[in-house]
Amino acid sequence: MSDVPILLEMRSITKEFPGVKALSDVNLVVRAGEIHAICGENGAGKSTLMKVLSGVYPYGSYDGQIVYQGSESKFSDIRASENAGIVIIHQELALIPGMSIAENIFLGNEPRKRGAIDWKAANRMALDLMARVGLQEDPDTLIKDIGVGKQQLVEIAKAFAKDVKLLILDEPTAALNEADSKHLLDLLRGFRSRGITSIMISHKLNEIEAIADQITILRDGRTVETLDVKADGVDEDRIVRGMVGRELSSRFPDHTPKIGDVFFEVRNWNVRHPISAERQVCKNESFVVRRGEIVGFAGLMGAGRTELAMSVFGRSYGVYESGTIIKDGKEIVLKSVADAIDNGLAYVSEDRKAIGLNLLDDIKSSTVAAKLSKISHRGVLSEVEEYQAAEAYRKELRTKAPTVDESVSKLSGGNQQKVVLAKWMFTDPDLLILDEPTRGIDVGAKYEIYGIIQRLADQGKGVIVISSELPELIGLCDRIYTVFEGAITGEIARADATPENLMKQMTSTKKMLTK
Amino acid sequence: MSRLKDLQKNLFGGTTSNARQFGMIFTLVAIVVLFQILTDGLTLRSDNLIALFQQNSYILILAIGMLMVIVAGHIDLSVGSVAAFAGILVAKSMAEWDLPWPVAILFGLAIGAIIGAWQGFWVAYIGVPAFIVTLAGMLLFRGGNQFIGNANTIPVPEGFREIGSGFLPEFGPNTGYNNATLLLGLAAAVAVVWREIQARKTRRAMDADPAPMWISILRMAIMVGVIAFASLRFASGRVGTSFPISGIILLVLVIAYSFYTRNTAGGRHIYAVGGNSRAAELSGVKLKRVNFFVMMNMSVLAALAGMIFVARSAASGPQDGNGWELDAIAAVFIGGAAVSGGIGTISGSIVGGLVMAVLNNGLQLMGVGTDRVQIIKGLVLLLAVAIDVYNKSQGRFSVIGSLMRPFRREDSAPPASPPDAEREPAKAAVSG
Amino acid sequence: MRKFFGTSVVAISAAAMLALAGCGSGRDGDSGSGGEAAKGFAANSLIGVALPAKTSENWVLAGDLFTNGLKEAGFQADVQYAGASTTVADQQAQITAMTTKGAKVIVIGATDAAQLSTQVAAAHAAGVKVIAYDRLITNTPDLDYYVAFDNFKVGQLQGQALLDGMKAKKPNGPYNIELFSGSPDDNNAGVFFNGAMSVLKPEIDKGNVVVASGQKDVKQTAIQGWKAEGAQARMDQLLTSTYGSKELDGVLSPNDTLARAILTSVKGAGKPTPVVTGQDSEVESVKSIVAGEQYMTINKDTRNLVKETINMVKALQAGNAPQVNDTKSYNNGSKVVDTYLLPPVAVTKANAAEAYANDPKLAPLTK
Repeated sequence: MSDVPILLEMRSITKEFPGVKALSDVNLVVRAGEIHAICGENGAGKSTLMKVLSGVYPYGSYDGQIVYQGSESKFSDIRASENAGIVIIHQELALIPGMSIAENIFLGNEPRKRGAIDWKAANRMALDLMARVGLQEDPDTLIKDIGVGKQQLVEIAKAFAKDVKLLILDEPTAALNEADSKHLLDLLRGFRSRGITSIMISHKLNEIEAIADQITILRDGRTVETLDVKADGVDEDRIVRGMVGRELSSRFPDHTPKIGDVFFEVRNWNVRHPISAERQVCKNESFVVRRGEIVGFAGLMGAGRTELAMSVFGRSYGVYESGTIIKDGKEIVLKSVADAIDNGLAYVSEDRKAIGLNLLDDIKSSTVAAKLSKISHRGVLSEVEEYQAAEAYRKELRTKAPTVDESVSKLSGGNQQKVVLAKWMFTDPDLLILDEPTRGIDVGAKYEIYGIIQRLADQGKGVIVISSELPELIGLCDRIYTVFEGAITGEIARADATPENLMKQMTSTKKMLTK
Repeated sequence: MSRLKDLQKNLFGGTTSNARQFGMIFTLVAIVVLFQILTDGLTLRSDNLIALFQQNSYILILAIGMLMVIVAGHIDLSVGSVAAFAGILVAKSMAEWDLPWPVAILFGLAIGAIIGAWQGFWVAYIGVPAFIVTLAGMLLFRGGNQFIGNANTIPVPEGFREIGSGFLPEFGPNTGYNNATLLLGLAAAVAVVWREIQARKTRRAMDADPAPMWISILRMAIMVGVIAFASLRFASGRVGTSFPISGIILLVLVIAYSFYTRNTAGGRHIYAVGGNSRAAELSGVKLKRVNFFVMMNMSVLAALAGMIFVARSAASGPQDGNGWELDAIAAVFIGGAAVSGGIGTISGSIVGGLVMAVLNNGLQLMGVGTDRVQIIKGLVLLLAVAIDVYNKSQGRFSVIGSLMRPFRREDSAPPASPPDAEREPAKAAVSG
Repeated sequence: MRKFFGTSVVAISAAAMLALAGCGSGRDGDSGSGGEAAKGFAANSLIGVALPAKTSENWVLAGDLFTNGLKEAGFQADVQYAGASTTVADQQAQITAMTTKGAKVIVIGATDAAQLSTQVAAAHAAGVKVIAYDRLITNTPDLDYYVAFDNFKVGQLQGQALLDGMKAKKPNGPYNIELFSGSPDDNNAGVFFNGAMSVLKPEIDKGNVVVASGQKDVKQTAIQGWKAEGAQARMDQLLTSTYGSKELDGVLSPNDTLARAILTSVKGAGKPTPVVTGQDSEVESVKSIVAGEQYMTINKDTRNLVKETINMVKALQAGNAPQVNDTKSYNNGSKVVDTYLLPPVAVTKANAAEAYANDPKLAPLTK
């Protein structure tokens, strides 16, 4: 590859925040027309590096040099870097839900005719750009009416509207299902063949292995190495070794399940959509959980797994229609989250930041938030007990934080997830429902969280794990249900589970396969 | 760790939010000292201190309720109108229906509760934004006040006036001071010492090192000194005057509500709802109930504030309550509450309210006209919140930020020691 | 450790108490309460003047006159206006601040006549003499003097001018009129209205004058806060509801600000200009009178009122009893207040030049 011209070179980039050196002496060389992956655990400095590159941290706020297209660039803000053809697509999409696709694509960059926006031209150009990213929609469709996968494509189309030379994607497939992810990766390959350079940050190592030409690995704010995927014969394990600095013998801790009897059962569960009542989001679903068992729920995005879990958890989603919940042989009626908690249920939500945690809180008060009664005496909260509980979980779960007074917003994703786990372990539940427990969490922390889940099961609790990553379900769960369009389509024991047969059932249109 | 570092870290408590609080107290002290000099000692004279408390107790009472409303992520624009509405009804009830004044006070609180239930219902159970509900309430109850009062001024009887213009009684031997006020000061001093001892116990129970003994003592000495100074001042006013009754009502409310917001599940829930309502709901918090409560509570306190003002003015008038909502909201935001909810303390709001009050009073003592006073207050509000916002934006230089840095807990660790491996998260916050 | 802690606390608190006891200065007795007036005070003492919000030019003028007049007389003047929205609370705070600063006399133009008794009492208790300026302060035994124009007379003059003006335009009745009165929290508003009604009532009873809308009560006619927009809105409504076909001959307006708002409303509706009364001799209204629109105003020369007030202050300074000319009529609910009344003068286009001859601002307008 060395004959290909260098498009971008970042030399000895060092960026300090008060008290923290986020980047120290980082080097990155990106050649024209390649897909360059940047890997590293959370906190390794990937996003900071990209913010330096895109001008979010302006020239002068960091040390080092950015050489782009042969000359040193001193970007003062995002606009400057965009003018130079560097466009960054963030993990949290920056689209306006109430505006149309075309409006979003040209937001801040509207084609004008005599001062007024030329919507005819805008729509024509939008169609052209959408074709380039393989998006077939009416440009007048509102963003909120299309799926997250298509939204991602709109973001990329938006980048093309700005005449992009270097496209930076931060976790582009994190929120996408397998099909959408595959489409996106194909798209990136297409760009490569047309000479567009991409930098991609991702935790999904299989994707990186499949698509990247070069991989630069960061650890603790330093460059570890740059690998040439073909020449060096890189595989996932090789990347993991670079990221964590050690060999991970297995992605899952060893575990021998101690499975007891069925203690939790949901029968004929029917729930309707909270707004459009004609949509049924849970269609006569039934499942059981045994003590000490880890039960997986596999399904595509939008299959209705989260909806099922939340509606069981005190009807916190949708409009309950019919169905019964039986726990320890007795029917229980959970009309509110408080009822669910009192009956020993816990639900660790999919989106930590949006609905799992109060980011203004510290670790201490987050830990006890779901069961304040446990530290109250005659209505008065005991600060001491709060502290002790939080401290105990911090040690048990090995949450990385100086003290439990630390604000949860300052923790990395993995440590935030541990706080959420602690919060629900504190309620001493019999059944834990974990919705995408490892999303956006790096390899090392994932391993720890798997261990925690297994320990909870070994204490005789039932655990439900909802995940979009099939290897995770297969590696962790004792039994897996597949969900498709609001119905349970199959039940597979661990021994029989393969990505292929799961995928088949997850996309099966044959309904009511339950035994 | 040097003694100076100990001092910086521990003098005003441990947690990070105290940096902000300390900043406010510092500002308050600075303003008091400034006006004490500019007004030739009038600011801290007994009669002025007494007047200051009497004049502002009702706004500070509103600020307590408003803090809770704002922390829960709402706003209440109707407090002035609700106060005026309750005030005129209470005045009428005594003037025309001959209710005895203690009953009239209960009647006024009940009116507040009913109005609060009305507003809380729309906010919590129907989901109309509080801004709209209380904007409607502002018109509704202002109109109600004019309708019932016919825009007249209705005087209230002597007994009722006590809650707005009364003082602690005179009794006991002639000490040259008001004995009741001295006793109150003594009780406060004992409470401060007791709290410090409790706090040390708690720290120890948490396996954390309590602040060094000499710091505890210094802190107590400062607090006790301030209390002693204040109680002597209040006790040495003109015979017949002393610590005002409205101040006592305020003190009781501040203590009760501080305890409620900090040390009970109900209080925690308000912060949880304001910080992330969906997360709170999924943690078993009864969202509707919390929203209903904060709105209702606000109206009850507004009714109380209205009654205190009427008592102090000796009559209920059609102008009562005009603009109070803005003073209360300003106090809360100067006191460090976040516009988006979830952050703020009662004590901060009180300090914020006092900053405004002292500013107002000092400028008036200097003979500055209300036009210029308003301009200055507007700028102070803007500046206080701007500094706060600016301070929070990381990685940028901030004058106040750098001034305040020595008082922040995070930075008080000696820089010489090697970075602790456990301090990882600080990095995670800015990258990854 | 614990013991050390405890003893230190005690020691420190004791030390603090001792240190502070030194600066506490014992208490003033209930000094200078009423009765022993004739002592006077230093010639350069502070005199406080608390006026309502700057909603009419009259108050602004009064403030300027007080500032200059008191300075010329050798006093220190502290002249304050209430804020635009929080009027009562502001005025309460201002009066308290003036008392704190040691003012010897406080002149109050009350923004709400009934809501100042606590502050007046505190001032009185501190030995301050309180003079109600232009508006009587009610429900307090602690008010010392009241200086004002004879407001009942003002009303009478307005009522008479209204009748005269309508007669001059249309020799025979019945005449259609509408009534406006001032802010209900201003003690004077009712006095003006009653004065005017004392002249108009006999004519109404005779049927010679008709209030076509039927709104004759002071509560129906009141304009809260003397606000121009309130008067304009009420007039708009009256024109729509009552004067579709009828002709409006005259409007009793208590002051100039409202009079001009009423005229604006009538003009906006395209009706012929009725006879409109006024009061205060505001610049715009004098212009309007000279132009033949507003019919009359009252000249209550603020200069004279301020001058009389300052004379009272001077008398108090010298230790004399100030001059009063009415010790019977003004009962504020708690006591009969010693009052000095100045006579008002009715001004129409006919006598404007003569009436404002001595006014530097208004005289040129009449030429």
